[in-house]
Amino acid sequence: MALIEIEDLHVAVAGKDVLKGLSLAIEAGTVHAIMGPNGTGKSTLSNVIAGREGYDIKRGRIVFAGRDLLAMPADERARAGIFLAFQYPVEIPGVSTSAFLKTAINAKRRAAGLSEIDAMEFLKLVKAKCKALGVADDMIKRPLNVGFSGGEKKRAEVLQMSLLEPRFAVLDETDSGLDIDALKVVSAGVNALRGPESAFLVITHYQRLLNYIVPDQVHILSGGRIVASGGRELAERLERDGYAQFQTAA
Amino acid sequence: MASVLSSSRSTAHPFGERYAGRMGPLPGASQPWVDGLRQAGRAALTSSGLPGPKVEAWRYTSLAELAKVAFIPAATADDVEVASVPSRVPRLDGFPRLVLVNGVLRRDLSDVAANAFAVPLRDALNGGDPAVRAVLGKIAPVSGSPISALNTSFLSEGLVVSAQSGAPVRLQIVTIGAAGAEPAAFHPRIVLTASDGADVTVAVHHVGLPGQSYLSNPVTEISIGRGATVRNFVDLAEDGDAFHLGLTAVNLAANGSYEDFRLALGGGLIRQDVTAIFSGDGGRVTLNGAYALAKTEHHELATTFFHDVPNCNSEQIVRGVAAGRSRAVFQGRIRVAPNAQKTDARQNHKALFLDAGPKIDCKPELEIFADDVQCAHGAATGEIDHDQLFYLLSRGIDPDTARALLVAGFLVDVVSRLSIDVVREAFAGAVSAWLKTRVVSGGVP
Ligand SMILES: Nc1ncnc2c1ncn2[C@@H]1O[C@H](COP(=O)(O)OP(=O)(O)OP(=O)(O)O)[C@@H](O)[C@H]1O
Ligand SMILES: [Mg+2]
Repeated sequence: MALIEIEDLHVAVAGKDVLKGLSLAIEAGTVHAIMGPNGTGKSTLSNVIAGREGYDIKRGRIVFAGRDLLAMPADERARAGIFLAFQYPVEIPGVSTSAFLKTAINAKRRAAGLSEIDAMEFLKLVKAKCKALGVADDMIKRPLNVGFSGGEKKRAEVLQMSLLEPRFAVLDETDSGLDIDALKVVSAGVNALRGPESAFLVITHYQRLLNYIVPDQVHILSGGRIVASGGRELAERLERDGYAQFQTAA
Repeated sequence: MASVLSSSRSTAHPFGERYAGRMGPLPGASQPWVDGLRQAGRAALTSSGLPGPKVEAWRYTSLAELAKVAFIPAATADDVEVASVPSRVPRLDGFPRLVLVNGVLRRDLSDVAANAFAVPLRDALNGGDPAVRAVLGKIAPVSGSPISALNTSFLSEGLVVSAQSGAPVRLQIVTIGAAGAEPAAFHPRIVLTASDGADVTVAVHHVGLPGQSYLSNPVTEISIGRGATVRNFVDLAEDGDAFHLGLTAVNLAANGSYEDFRLALGGGLIRQDVTAIFSGDGGRVTLNGAYALAKTEHHELATTFFHDVPNCNSEQIVRGVAAGRSRAVFQGRIRVAPNAQKTDARQNHKALFLDAGPKIDCKPELEIFADDVQCAHGAATGEIDHDQLFYLLSRGIDPDTARALLVAGFLVDVVSRLSIDVVREAFAGAVSAWLKTRVVSGGVP
């Protein structure tokens, strides 16, 4: 049984059909990548997995670790191990990054029946993760994402991910806006979380990322469904010949 | 009964002869100018009464409920006992404390270090202090301000704080409202003079004893000398049954600087006015504020800045949240005189509805008569941002906690602009305490 199984998902946004029968199964221990033209529904899929409201789920289901994911509220999904690294992380003035991180970590610990994290332990943990991801220490004192550069926001997403240690993470264009060094650091952060229990769905426009986060499978999303699946060579073919070859009558 | 008849322009009020008759002898009897001031206040009160709904500046705050209360002068209530400062008021490191109970300085509750800076107004009036005379009623004249008219009518209690250039002066002033069996009113007057080059910071806390009906009617006149700096941080947390009609009036000489922060976290009916007059080039005023209202609380902040001279800046940022059936009002008037070129005046008010019950009004009023100026105002009301909420939920934070974090963040964002660390932390702490009781546990009332 796959860790997450998406079956025949049909989703409309603002009256427009976006996902039209998407099916995808991701096994624990694997990394899948999705590539696809702008506006084909990659972020829609990410948001539906994470539980954002405003999407009309017309058909289909998502089973995560044996549970009906679509029946769970967003916060419960996160505590169960779902994580979305946002394409556009939102700025939250007045809420310090560290207070936010602590609240999120404790929410997860409480759900797992653990006590709240000790203040010293928290600081040590965050410091270590910041160092590994090249995140400046003082960034966590600032309000969440406020005034962070594009690249800093993406690093902060990966920082959150590595602190929350999800079982299934969706990275929605986490590579966009990263310089080449940051790309390596962030990829290393993701790779460090890989393990037999967890899985990743990496959304990207660039084959380059897949040199660092090597996927087990690559899927092409077009017209609201997966039109091709294969190994890494699919991404290379795409880079060479573009999407035209995959466009099917929707 | 000396009450003026109620009309839409005025509200009959309980501060006529019955009230005045109970006042007893007022200080400064040997100083004709003191009595002159009081008489001017009384005359303004008699001719206009308290403002009614047809008075434009008062259309959002009705004094009808207040006018029904048969107040007695708090000084004559002999059943009031205040033995300590409510624990709600934090100690501020480096800020010696002065305590006023119903406007009367209580040296026994104040710190020795603070007593050195303050003279009770009563003593200054009796002695006819010329420095006080030069300021009193000049910065907060009775004309145009019913709050000042009411306060000045019964001028007696309060404080005189004077600071010279040299070591910065820091003070915490706690005003405690307390009534006995009968509802009581008090009218403290604070006169704060910062001489040229002085640096003064005051943190003022308005609190009351719980479950009591009182009216606090404080007026503060602040005179800022050339190049002097005054910071005035006001923490308004009156009891839920209390009325508060307050005015802070500021006059800035050339290159004077004034920073004001208004934190309002409670009270039955509150109206606080802040008036600033730039009377010399290069003045700077920052007025920021945060309010949080619940139940049937009413809070209005009304600011009036007179840019009468060139090259002055003013900036105002106010953030508020409202729950229950509360009512929030922000009125911001900026007047730029014809010769006040190079004025930079900015004003921004944003408020969040925590549920569908409250009513929030914002009225910016810009009167600009100069052409080479920068003036901007912004106003927005709305609900908690959905994208922000989803972001927190997506990290496993439950909806109640997520909302509380966002509401706190919304207010803390403006509190974080407060320039003095110890006061900023205290105010941020008060905001989180408010939210803990109102937003998280048991939901918003
Ligand atoms: N809230 C919304 N309201 C209206 N249309 C929406 C909304 N969200 C998504 N859409 C539309 O749904 C389609 C899919 O959008 P989505 O963001 O999922 O695309 P994407 O594949 O992530 O694109 P990109 O590569 O540019 O990030 C687009 O046509 C988009 O305009
Ligand atoms: Mg997208």
